[in-house]
Amino acid sequence: QPQRIKLATLLPRGSSAHQALLEMGEKWRQAPGAGVTLTIYTDGTMGGEAETVRRMRVDQLQGGVLSVAGLMEIDRAVTGLQTMPMVFRSLDEVEYVREKLRPMLDKRLEEKGFVALFWGDAGWVRIFSKKPVTRPGDLKTQKVFVLASDSGQVDLMKRAGFQAVPLEYTDTLTGLQTGLIDAVPTTPFYALAGQFYLRAPYMLEINYVPLVGGLVMTRKTWDALPPVTRDAFRQAAEEAGKKISAQSHREMEEAVAAMKKRGLQVSQMTPPAETEWRTLFEGLYPQIRGNLVPADMFDEVHRLLREYRK
Amino acid sequence: MKLENAIISGVLAALIVLPILEALLRKTLHVGISGSAALVEHLTLIVGMVGGAIAARENRLLALSTLGELLKGRAGKLAGVFGGSCAAAVSALLVAAGVEFVRAERLSGEALAYGIPVWVVQAIIPAGFGLIALRLLWHSAGSWSGRAAAALLAGAWIVLWSWSPMGALIALGLATVAGVPAFVTLAGVGLVLFRHAGEPIASIPIAHYSLVTNPALPTIPMFTLAGYLLAEGGAPQRLIQVFDALFGRLRGGAAIVTATVCAFFTSFTGGSGVTIIALGGLLMPVLLARRYKGRDALGLVTGAGSLGLLFPPCLPLILYAIVAKVPIESMFLGGILPGVVLLAATACWGILSQGPGESDTEPAFDWTVARRALWQAKWELLMPVVALGALFGGFATPVEAAALTALYALCIETLVYRDLKLTSDVPRVMTECGLLIGGVLLIQGVALGFTNYLVDAEVTAHAAEWATNTIHSRWLFLLALNLFLLVVGCLMEIYAAIIIQAPLLVTIGTAFGLDPVHLGIIFLANLELGYLTPPVGLNLLLSAFRFKKSVPEVLRAVTPLTLVLAAGVLLITYVPALTTTLPRWLGR
Ligand code: NA
Ligand code: NA
Repeated sequence: QPQRIKLATLLPRGSSAHQALLEMGEKWRQAPGAGVTLTIYTDGTMGGEAETVRRMRVDQLQGGVLSVAGLMEIDRAVTGLQTMPMVFRSLDEVEYVREKLRPMLDKRLEEKGFVALFWGDAGWVRIFSKKPVTRPGDLKTQKVFVLASDSGQVDLMKRAGFQAVPLEYTDTLTGLQTGLIDAVPTTPFYALAGQFYLRAPYMLEINYVPLVGGLVMTRKTWDALPPVTRDAFRQAAEEAGKKISAQSHREMEEAVAAMKKRGLQVSQMTPPAETEWRTLFEGLYPQIRGNLVPADMFDEVHRLLREYRK
Repeated sequence: MKLENAIISGVLAALIVLPILEALLRKTLHVGISGSAALVEHLTLIVGMVGGAIAARENRLLALSTLGELLKGRAGKLAGVFGGSCAAAVSALLVAAGVEFVRAERLSGEALAYGIPVWVVQAIIPAGFGLIALRLLWHSAGSWSGRAAAALLAGAWIVLWSWSPMGALIALGLATVAGVPAFVTLAGVGLVLFRHAGEPIASIPIAHYSLVTNPALPTIPMFTLAGYLLAEGGAPQRLIQVFDALFGRLRGGAAIVTATVCAFFTSFTGGSGVTIIALGGLLMPVLLARRYKGRDALGLVTGAGSLGLLFPPCLPLILYAIVAKVPIESMFLGGILPGVVLLAATACWGILSQGPGESDTEPAFDWTVARRALWQAKWELLMPVVALGALFGGFATPVEAAALTALYALCIETLVYRDLKLTSDVPRVMTECGLLIGGVLLIQGVALGFTNYLVDAEVTAHAAEWATNTIHSRWLFLLALNLFLLVVGCLMEIYAAIIIQAPLLVTIGTAFGLDPVHLGIIFLANLELGYLTPPVGLNLLLSAFRFKKSVPEVLRAVTPLTLVLAAGVLLITYVPALTTTLPRWLGR
């Protein structure tokens, strides 16, 4: 039976999410039959998300709070929750689909040796740009940041007719300064924290993709816990996940308000513009299906959305 | 042998071509090469491991101590077998760790590009360490009986060390003094600590893999290749002519020439010691002819050999940017003014130490000579403009700018100056460059494994907490930092120091409200001094080697200049504006 569980995340130390994880750790410590201490490595000190997964595979780490970008290193099925632009219209839709898909996702992860203890989202990725953007044509004249390690996204953006520049996250701000890039799709929280909004002061309120993630533990560790302990662990994790999602939705609003005070211009999405964006991205879906997102997962997400919208 | 050289030349060529093609296609057709970034990253992994194997083949892996070479006769043979056995044992354990890593990765079934599974490329890590282990055994003795003894001893170490961690650390300490490669010491300590803590040793290759496949890392082999092509072409002579024509007639002119030429070179070759080897022999006569005493000239060449470490696109700047997660461009801009400070300090000392004499016996400044020299070297002088123009002009990512610079250097040395032949010289220079990069990346990879142990054992987090609780003023922290880095500089090799110390320092420094770019420049400026301080001072060793002097003799010669440079480092530390002004100005 494990004495100590080590968990890594990119989340910053002292953030509200870190706080929620610490509270969860305290509940785990007091869980019946366990006496397990939880060590949390924040700020990516254990490496990026892919590296965190590698460290879990060799049992240096037992857990990770990861976004879809990291979870897809375990199984690509998770991409159905985040990779298709504009497939979700509201965060309620995101939650509905996520909850419905959970049994299937949990099973896929389990087959790969991992157990998901909570799922959640941190709101929408919006588009921040140097010149105002309302329609797709406005963005096509600007150079768009795409994470270099995500070659699928790079190809997709190029195919959509955008000038995609593959770059690292750390080079984003300088890239905006030198003119290597003009636009960055990111969450308001990161736009504020990374000060991207100072160089790209226009935000399009587009529901581009949600930022989805969750807590996973290696099955080896999980299976070694007594059943009573597992129940207590799962419950504490669920609570932490709910708390983190709710807090990050609030922080998204707060970040936008704070940036507005310092000069951020927000463009609302008009219905005709929305149709244009939707037509563009839906044209890419055949390309996404079976390549970026496994076909069965792609179909299931669309089926669930039709079901929800009825 | 030929195969390895061919592989490394081919891969370096691909590293030049792929990023440039990607940039061009993006610019013109709005398309690109699918999976280009991942390909380039894994090509860097291949350069690192093959280069490391070549360095082992040539017995040129960087060592921390040269004692082993000084020992003669029986003692020398014993030191060789003992060091070789420890080094082979560590390498064999790295093979085991690598296999563990690759096996876990294989289960993930991830593809790199075009259907090639990632684990196939990752398998080059254990394969490379296996080859290195065999070659370390080969070089451990001149006879087959000696090699067999080393192999047996290596097997015994693996058994004994798993049983007694303390014994392992003592053996590694002795082996380090005997002159084993630096990566052996770092990896050995990491392996022992991970095993003692009950953690998987595969943690080390995971860190190694992450570092070497970092998307920004391909800049390092590319800029270094550009520097090597210059050094092996006729650039040293042409550049000395230029700076001599411009500054040679001034008081202390020869010192200014030495400092500027060295800085120009080091900024491309990465302070790897190439500068002293390539330029030392050419600069020494210039200094002696201008009434410098032999000792002062030796001091100047030795000290100037590390100038330029703070100028873009120097390798330590890039490495720090990667480890500390700050933009490469900010480090490049931040280093310029502090680099000028150290350059000026060297020039001032040069002016003061020039011997007495009639300055009017020398010919006056000749504009025709200067113009001819400038015209001759114009393509080489333009190289920083190409590198930085591509980067700050907004049309290239750091990797693309580095590839462009390498291509530019290749073109001017082979086509314009014709100092290098494309078919014979260029592969040789590429192999040489690969050897250096391989040696450096081996050290960095395993050093990052060691750093990961410090993170894992929460040493980093606790040290940061301790520092913020104990030291209350930022100025006191900076003073403590200077003293600490002085010791680090005396003892550690610069690349290992960056990987091991930088994450810790950034954590602590941020708690004191220090700018991470300023912190990085302080760090590198201190390590620049470390090149000149015993016992681990690369420039002292190289200068002693190049000019056939003893290390204490070189040390005596360079110490006055070291003190002057130390004053410059203090200025850089306590005047943050020197560092932060240029990056801020760009940010407007
Ligand atoms: Na430099
Ligand atoms: Na030193």
